[in-house]
Amino acid sequence: MNTTNDYDVIVVGAGHAGCEAACAVSAMGLSTCLITINLETIAQMSCNPAIGGLAKGHLVREIDALGGIMGILADETGIQFRLLNRSRGGAVQAPRAQSDKALYRTYMKKHLEKTQNLALFQGIVTEVITKNNKACGINTLEGYKLNAGAIIMTPGTFLNGLIHIGTHNYSAGRANEPASRKLGEHLKKMGLRIFRLKTGTPMRLHRETIDWDQFKAQPGDKNPVPFSFRTKKKLKNKVDCYLGYTNSETHKIINNNLDKSPLYSGIITGIGPRYCPSIEVKVVQFPHHKRHQFFLEPEGLDTAEIYINGIATSLPLITQKDILASIPGLDQAEILRPAYAIEYDAVVPTQLYPTLETREIENLYLAGQINGTSGYEEAAAQGLMAGINAALKIKGEKPFILRRDEAYIAVLIDDLITKGVEEPYRLFTSRAEYRLQLRIDNADKRLIKYGNQFGLIRPAEYEDYQIKQEKLNKAKHFLQTEKITPEGKETITLKAHLKKPHVSYRDVTRDKQPDVNLSKEEIRHIESEIKYEGYLKKQAKEIARIAKLDKVKIPEDMDYKKVSGLTAEVVERLENQRPGNLGEAKKISGITPAALINLHIYIKIRQKNRKRSKGTC
Amino acid sequence: MFEDTIIAVSTPLGFGGLGVVRLSGKKSLSIAKIIFKAKNNKNRFLPRKTILGNLYDFKNNEIFEEAYLTFFPAPKSYTTEDVIELSCHGSPVILEEIVRQGIKNGARHARPGEFTLRAFLGGRIDILQAEAINDLIHASSLKQAKISYHQIEGALSRKIIKLRSQIVQILSQTEASIEFPDEGFKISKNTIANTIEKTEQTIDKLVKSYDLGKTLAEGVTLAITGRSNVGKSTLFNTLLEQERAIVTPHPGTTRDYLRESLKIKDSIFNLVDMAGLDNSSHPAEKEGINRGKKIAASADGILLVLDSSQKASPEDYRLIRKYRNQKIILLHNKCDLPSKMDIKKTIKLGSGMPHLEISALKRTNIEKLKEQIHSLFVRNDIKGNEIILHLRQKLLLEDIQAALLEALRVLKEGFPEEIIVEEIRKIQPLIGQMTGEIGADEILDNIFSRFCIGK
Repeated sequence: MNTTNDYDVIVVGAGHAGCEAACAVSAMGLSTCLITINLETIAQMSCNPAIGGLAKGHLVREIDALGGIMGILADETGIQFRLLNRSRGGAVQAPRAQSDKALYRTYMKKHLEKTQNLALFQGIVTEVITKNNKACGINTLEGYKLNAGAIIMTPGTFLNGLIHIGTHNYSAGRANEPASRKLGEHLKKMGLRIFRLKTGTPMRLHRETIDWDQFKAQPGDKNPVPFSFRTKKKLKNKVDCYLGYTNSETHKIINNNLDKSPLYSGIITGIGPRYCPSIEVKVVQFPHHKRHQFFLEPEGLDTAEIYINGIATSLPLITQKDILASIPGLDQAEILRPAYAIEYDAVVPTQLYPTLETREIENLYLAGQINGTSGYEEAAAQGLMAGINAALKIKGEKPFILRRDEAYIAVLIDDLITKGVEEPYRLFTSRAEYRLQLRIDNADKRLIKYGNQFGLIRPAEYEDYQIKQEKLNKAKHFLQTEKITPEGKETITLKAHLKKPHVSYRDVTRDKQPDVNLSKEEIRHIESEIKYEGYLKKQAKEIARIAKLDKVKIPEDMDYKKVSGLTAEVVERLENQRPGNLGEAKKISGITPAALINLHIYIKIRQKNRKRSKGTC
Repeated sequence: MFEDTIIAVSTPLGFGGLGVVRLSGKKSLSIAKIIFKAKNNKNRFLPRKTILGNLYDFKNNEIFEEAYLTFFPAPKSYTTEDVIELSCHGSPVILEEIVRQGIKNGARHARPGEFTLRAFLGGRIDILQAEAINDLIHASSLKQAKISYHQIEGALSRKIIKLRSQIVQILSQTEASIEFPDEGFKISKNTIANTIEKTEQTIDKLVKSYDLGKTLAEGVTLAITGRSNVGKSTLFNTLLEQERAIVTPHPGTTRDYLRESLKIKDSIFNLVDMAGLDNSSHPAEKEGINRGKKIAASADGILLVLDSSQKASPEDYRLIRKYRNQKIILLHNKCDLPSKMDIKKTIKLGSGMPHLEISALKRTNIEKLKEQIHSLFVRNDIKGNEIILHLRQKLLLEDIQAALLEALRVLKEGFPEEIIVEEIRKIQPLIGQMTGEIGADEILDNIFSRFCIGK
């Protein structure tokens, strides 16, 4: 598209964020270069061999509906599938799959290699070149210089990564992979505010050294639910996971060795995630718990490595061995890779626009862990959004910003840029105000139109979607018109009957069926839509009400200090964020309803005064 | 937004030997420097240091009073603005003169409650505290003043904060069970139901205390009712110890109603004298009767007056039956005259309502009546920190209560957890109107501190 640049867009880093970004940009017709330190570790799952779960599975569905690739690949390379929360309603059900890590890497690399407009390149980026505060290229350690219209940075934990095992530490982005040290320093110099985060990963054990009889098998679902709307083949479970527990002996060992933990000796300053604490944190913070559970998860089909989910630690190798020795079944287990903690730099995400472009430097986009998130899915979602927006900007089109009532992706990005983060951010369904609306069964209904608009969804796929909608409408109409007389009760429509708890679609269509055959997935959709109907209608009203707040624009030259009743803290937050309208202001943490009212009054008075003074002139 | 500086006497006028005038706003300091000259001739007002000086009428170049000045610079003041407090002799004349001088030099007289409003808008106090201070300013009885004081101390705020944390607990239990299905802890629906029930009981207690709160905040409305010419207006005047109502021997003299405050011990009663409740053909009187009926129906208490010097009429019996379920004292008036009434029969019909023979004219048993009014209509069994003073708060609490009961209903009918959360989430903006709103992060914080999440 651009003749003077080497590429339209350069994506730095080929993890889950970078791959989605690169695929989106190139699918939108722009020339793209994806640079990574090591082509062998493209789309590496640095920690657990799994994709999905609550909120994360939702994200994958949304990525899929927008035309991203994570869903398809997770289905392709999955070796065990489960739908979580089957006993609850559709809004809080989500797929989770154990992945074959090596397969995932290989499939992603193959996919990238055959993607049009996309160049893969191995190199270590040291600098973002800027002109007039606009990003326009990169320099590499190897001495290359590449120009581009936009840069998307997705460095993961590589920015000044520092690995800790016991009191020993060394510079690395992932175990035994070089960290990006120069780039970290460079971003600071560019004026981006940086902070330090911490995460960790458990040890990998040799399968043949585990006594599997000591653990309880956790099989996959009988009928696996895929991530992708586009996956047509039947998925198969190929492995089991196993459940085990620590014991009081384990805890004693941990307590006795806390002085060797960099977490407790003060060596680690970065903040770790509370939802994914290391085993030493669990033992210290929950001393009344006699045991903690863990899962043994295979890393893939062609490897003997077993991931021990729940025992992340930064204790020294010798203590890691002692911990295993205290657990029956793992007492002979051989450690192939030790557990470690890693500290890394992240950019304060409130410095980003909703497009994930930095406010400081135009045309520079950030996605993934650099924005303070954790998780493959969170990274992929941001990568996709940064990719789409970078491409739209280069094409001179309107940015693509989702609303919180439209997608978990929006909840994620909006939380990041308006609230900032204190610990690695993970998405939870409870973060969504409109949870009943943001479901896996309607992700296509919510988002596929955008994927279609940007050319990320193939026409045939969009057609499939439209056919599905027709089918669903027919079924809904059937439920609305057909009646049923439950035993000893009044005659009601099938729909009204289906609204009751514990009544399923199968129950109401036992005697009469619509002339369309619905898949399990489609049935789940119908059930959710009908069971949640009352709440969804109310929420639609609420959404419309809030949309009005979005219409109250905050003047660009707003002096918050002049607004009475705002505490110094509120003024500071508003000055930092500079919300464009009241709706955005409302979402900033610490902005109370009272502060919002004062702000609203002030804007109204100001508008009136302006009008009046104009009138008299 | 507050560009202007306000001034007002902040101690009650006409009370006590000491008076305080308060200035708040940007110009407080410059105004004070004009009207106040320190005795040590150094007009440097150090933060929170009290200095002695003279108050000065600048225009006439006269010293008119000696005073102490304290400067509270923003934001560490009551209103979070620059505040000057001048304390001096409590004479209303002097205090008013200081205010006048302040206004002359650029301040504006504060509207009632405006200092509190600024404190609230400045984030210095929360809305509950602001409302409690407002009540203190307008306290109509000593008891209410005490309650207001306790509220300022945060008693009600503490109750609401406790309620808030109970709701956080409900949400975090429910959310934890949704978000972490693989974590090895089980939170049963029964556990959640118990937490909801406990919270609902907390609110129920608070809501029930409202009636008393209303009584104390607004005073008790007492309607004097009965047929024409039984001596209602005489009783009204006797209780008030003044000739407020016009009394004639002619029936129907009081055509509309009169309302006066009556203080008994430390409580305020709004005493209402109204037209006799007989059938009347005069339009003005008819209107008065209708209004009287409405007041009697909504009053907190009724003094039903009968004329015991006359035989009881069917209208008397009808009134007894009509009001016997309200808080009422049955009064047999004109006991100074020979009784013609079957008093026992009227008492029996009143089925146990308190009764007293009085003479409003001769003041017989009037003190006893006051005792009875006080003991019957003011309750003493409620502790000050259990009281809600505002209708707004009560309505909010009732809405929260309704949402909790709805959540409990859907839970018991077998709806899944995410539906229960939707019901509880309706409470978030309501709680937000009383204290801080509950955000998603707070729920997650609570989950992480209570449950060991490990995956």
